[in-house]
Amino acid sequence: MSYRIPIGPYHIALEEPYKIEVDCEGETVVGSSLKVGFNFRGIEWLAQHKNITQSIALLERVCGICSNVHSMSFCMTLERIGQIEVPQRGQHIRMVMAELERLHSHLLWAGIASELIGFETLFMQIFRLRESVMDTLEAISGNRVNYSMNRIGGVNRDIPDRGKVRDVARDIRNVTEGALIPLLTTDKTILARCQGVGVLTRTDAIAYGVVGPVARASGLDTDLRRDKPYLAYGDVKFAVPVQTAGDVLSRVVVRALEIVESCKIIEQVLDRMPEGAIHAGEIYSVPAGDAVVRIEAPRGEVFYYIASDGSDTPVRVKVRTPSFANIPAVSAMVKGCDLADVPLIQAAVDPCYSCTDR
Amino acid sequence: MNAEETRQVIGGIWTERPDGWWLSVHAPMIQRIARTMLEAGARFSAIVALPSSGDTMRLSWHWDMGGVLLSVVSEIAEGAPVPSIVDTYPGADWAERETRDYYAVAFEGRADTLPLMLRDGDKPGVLLCKVGEKL
Repeated sequence: MSYRIPIGPYHIALEEPYKIEVDCEGETVVGSSLKVGFNFRGIEWLAQHKNITQSIALLERVCGICSNVHSMSFCMTLERIGQIEVPQRGQHIRMVMAELERLHSHLLWAGIASELIGFETLFMQIFRLRESVMDTLEAISGNRVNYSMNRIGGVNRDIPDRGKVRDVARDIRNVTEGALIPLLTTDKTILARCQGVGVLTRTDAIAYGVVGPVARASGLDTDLRRDKPYLAYGDVKFAVPVQTAGDVLSRVVVRALEIVESCKIIEQVLDRMPEGAIHAGEIYSVPAGDAVVRIEAPRGEVFYYIASDGSDTPVRVKVRTPSFANIPAVSAMVKGCDLADVPLIQAAVDPCYSCTDR
Repeated sequence: MNAEETRQVIGGIWTERPDGWWLSVHAPMIQRIARTMLEAGARFSAIVALPSSGDTMRLSWHWDMGGVLLSVVSEIAEGAPVPSIVDTYPGADWAERETRDYYAVAFEGRADTLPLMLRDGDKPGVLLCKVGEKL
């Protein structure tokens, strides 16, 4: 006999409002349906009724974790329409911020996953590590979440102490390579909970259009930083980790390896930071035109489309977040799995419902 | 297939821009294009609706292929139905439902188009609202 279990939209296991209805036969999941929209704020409408300077702050609030990538993508799309050249130093600072954000996002996810797996000691160790990233972001920007670093044509602030940022990146790389990755790939508790669980095949990954670590864990060798380099990503060396099993463990491993690569990028960027201006001056509007910009955010491709009529208020602002692309694939991942694995499988997507709903 | 081969198979006059390659088509062609994109291994990325002058809407479908953006654009009359590509790309389901919520675009060929961001019974076209207008 089959039965349906509703989880959410407000549930102790969920950190944001979202609903999944799971159809089960015994303990086995045979189907599911997802409902979002509980955080809908109409941000696209708001951005089409505010000037672009106001909208930088607005777009930074699309997501509470990868806030920087949204203000950066918004500014980069306007810069593409206006053919505005961002000074090299400004581009390098944007890269440092983007990679620090990836570190804190991946470490946040690894900590939450550890807790869901039942490994609380690991959760505490990872959050200790993450705290050093948050302190660094605060030291650079004055803020721990919404950094207000981006402006059209560059960034608002320089990095005051590059040596300290380099030390933090090196420390995280050493701990991740020396302790975190061996633990995540050999610990019996983690393997028992993650290996072979929540599989998304390569074929399904393409059909669902998943992005970022979720795609790379299903064998898709894709990363916009390498495939379509922006800022100065074409000038630094880094690997793109890819796994083929498509299970929760693969997603864990991909993100852990990406932590190491982000640290390497930060170290390289700080070593080759050029002198000069950090922005291109005061810019309050761009000419008429439209453009798409895609950025590799911590959770995968962020898609921005802006149409301008030449005034200071955009005609159209479209934001497609990575979670919007990744969450629907949860339906394919949970099919055939044990009911008890559903919370971990949906968490392994690293979903952000605030981003998704906008 | 790579992006260039895929463009050749689809045909038409593609325009290169700084953000990728763009093609204008009639909306009924989108299903055939979607099938070709899937066979070529392209990843569906997004649908963008943009109200144009008069009573038309500009819809664009976007795919990624090895980092290359392939965008297909179509002008549709207000209220005219647009073929759904969900049968080919299940990942387009949310994109179509959101487009219906935001700009009241009707996609045909789907079993249903349930609201995504709006609640059951809400009037679609929320991004068409003027300042101060009640939903």
